[in-house]
Amino acid sequence: MSGQLTLPEKPKSKFSLYKRIVIFIIIALIYIWTFTSLEIRWDTIFSESTLDNMDRIIPKFFQPAVEETGNILEMMFETLFIAYTGSLAAAIIAVPLAFLCASNMVSNKFLNNIGMWILGGVRAFPEIVLAIIFVAAVGPNPFAGVLAIAIGSTGMLGKLYSEVIESIDMNIIEALEASGANKLQILFYGIFPQVLPEFLSYAIYRFEIDVRASSVLGIVGAGGIGTLITFAYMNRNWEEVGMILLVIIITVTIIDQISGFIRKRLV
Amino acid sequence: MIEFNDVSLVYPNGTEGLKNIDLKINEGEFVVIVGLSGAGKSTFIRSINRLVTPTSGSLLVEDEDILKANGTDLRRLRTKIGMIFQSYNLVKRSTVLKNVISGRLGYTGTLTSILNIFSKEDKLLAYENLKRVNIEEKLYNRADELSGGQQQRVSIARVLTQKPKLILADEPVASLDPPTSHQVMKYLKQINREDKITTIVNLHFIDMAMEYADRIIGMRAGEVVFDGPVSDVTEQTFEEIYGRSIRDEDRRGGVEDE
Repeated sequence: MSGQLTLPEKPKSKFSLYKRIVIFIIIALIYIWTFTSLEIRWDTIFSESTLDNMDRIIPKFFQPAVEETGNILEMMFETLFIAYTGSLAAAIIAVPLAFLCASNMVSNKFLNNIGMWILGGVRAFPEIVLAIIFVAAVGPNPFAGVLAIAIGSTGMLGKLYSEVIESIDMNIIEALEASGANKLQILFYGIFPQVLPEFLSYAIYRFEIDVRASSVLGIVGAGGIGTLITFAYMNRNWEEVGMILLVIIITVTIIDQISGFIRKRLV
Repeated sequence: MIEFNDVSLVYPNGTEGLKNIDLKINEGEFVVIVGLSGAGKSTFIRSINRLVTPTSGSLLVEDEDILKANGTDLRRLRTKIGMIFQSYNLVKRSTVLKNVISGRLGYTGTLTSILNIFSKEDKLLAYENLKRVNIEEKLYNRADELSGGQQQRVSIARVLTQKPKLILADEPVASLDPPTSHQVMKYLKQINREDKITTIVNLHFIDMAMEYADRIIGMRAGEVVFDGPVSDVTEQTFEEIYGRSIRDEDRRGGVEDE
């Protein structure tokens, strides 16, 4: 029996073939266009001076300035503090915005959209741009970094939170409503137990991202290890840059591991 | 006592959920509402605690028209009405105790309940009610560690903790297997007998309706097509309510499996 069984032929459509060709041509054109308009000077890239620089600089990365460790670690901790404070603030600010956006909590479409616009608008700014704005506003110190991280993270956390809220089991809300509980009691007994573990998980994930983001904020003067990178780079002190990179890589890896472990236990 | 006076409900899309319902349910009765899905059983039961709002008529619960109640009044009336659902509706990540004690929320101040402060009596009441449905050993387990039948028993304990005058059960056994279904129905019947709590249950299994009900109300297309004591009910009555002959799927069976 099974020997005679043949799969019915897959319906072919000429349209899909044309579509594929057209898409391929469009992508190829965009590719060619970007490369030609960038004016990459291949001759300088593959010149002797590049090889010289490589030969001179790259090895220095691998002879990190160990004697600077204390100073670098201090700045690394400042970076972590900036990330932590910023993420924590964002994790809290994002909650009311997320409820505003969640269509099962606020049934007014207009208010939902306002919430979405706020979060979308905030997400449109890269942290570094926010940092420049806040350095201008509050001066070149770690507080500017904290603000940049807090505002930048709110956009993403608010969006993710609101998706979590929209996915909760509304029957539980109905059950509490039926027992005569008021809105605040429903929030604390029906909604928070369903969403808080996920909120926390996303907040920790965002902290991971913020540690990376706050490492470069110092470049524009917003505190943290980025300040050291700028100084070392301007002085062509490649050994120190190497050491800074090493510290960042190790710290970020450790944080990733810890956060992954906690997040796995949470949900 | 519950009194429906010419209650009708038209959904915004034009569907008539209830058509001119006129009936009384007396204190302490065990009423089973039967009908095919879509007959309006759920709408009927959900009108009583205003999870849906009928569009006309009056519906007296404990001599108060629940259709006119709003805000605080509605919440106060709802504390007297316990409800059990097909999908148990427990907070899965919370402990059994926390789920059961949430039955007291309607009696507890907002601030104290948010801070999770419940009186000793309330905690003991929750424990006592868990004992009544024989699941007290799961007190500190998370609700999602329990089987379906156990979760439904916890939801019965939650309703009891509410100290209701009336229990509504919307298809309480539809997600359970036959032996567990009978167990849940037996607890409901027992509570109805011992505490004199009026109980209204939606079922679509005719054998279970016959076994547990004092009175059967049959619904079809939003109308009450039969209303009488269980002694008046025969297989033919069900055929009239359902508008078709009785099939195997209309019976839960399984009582002898226990």
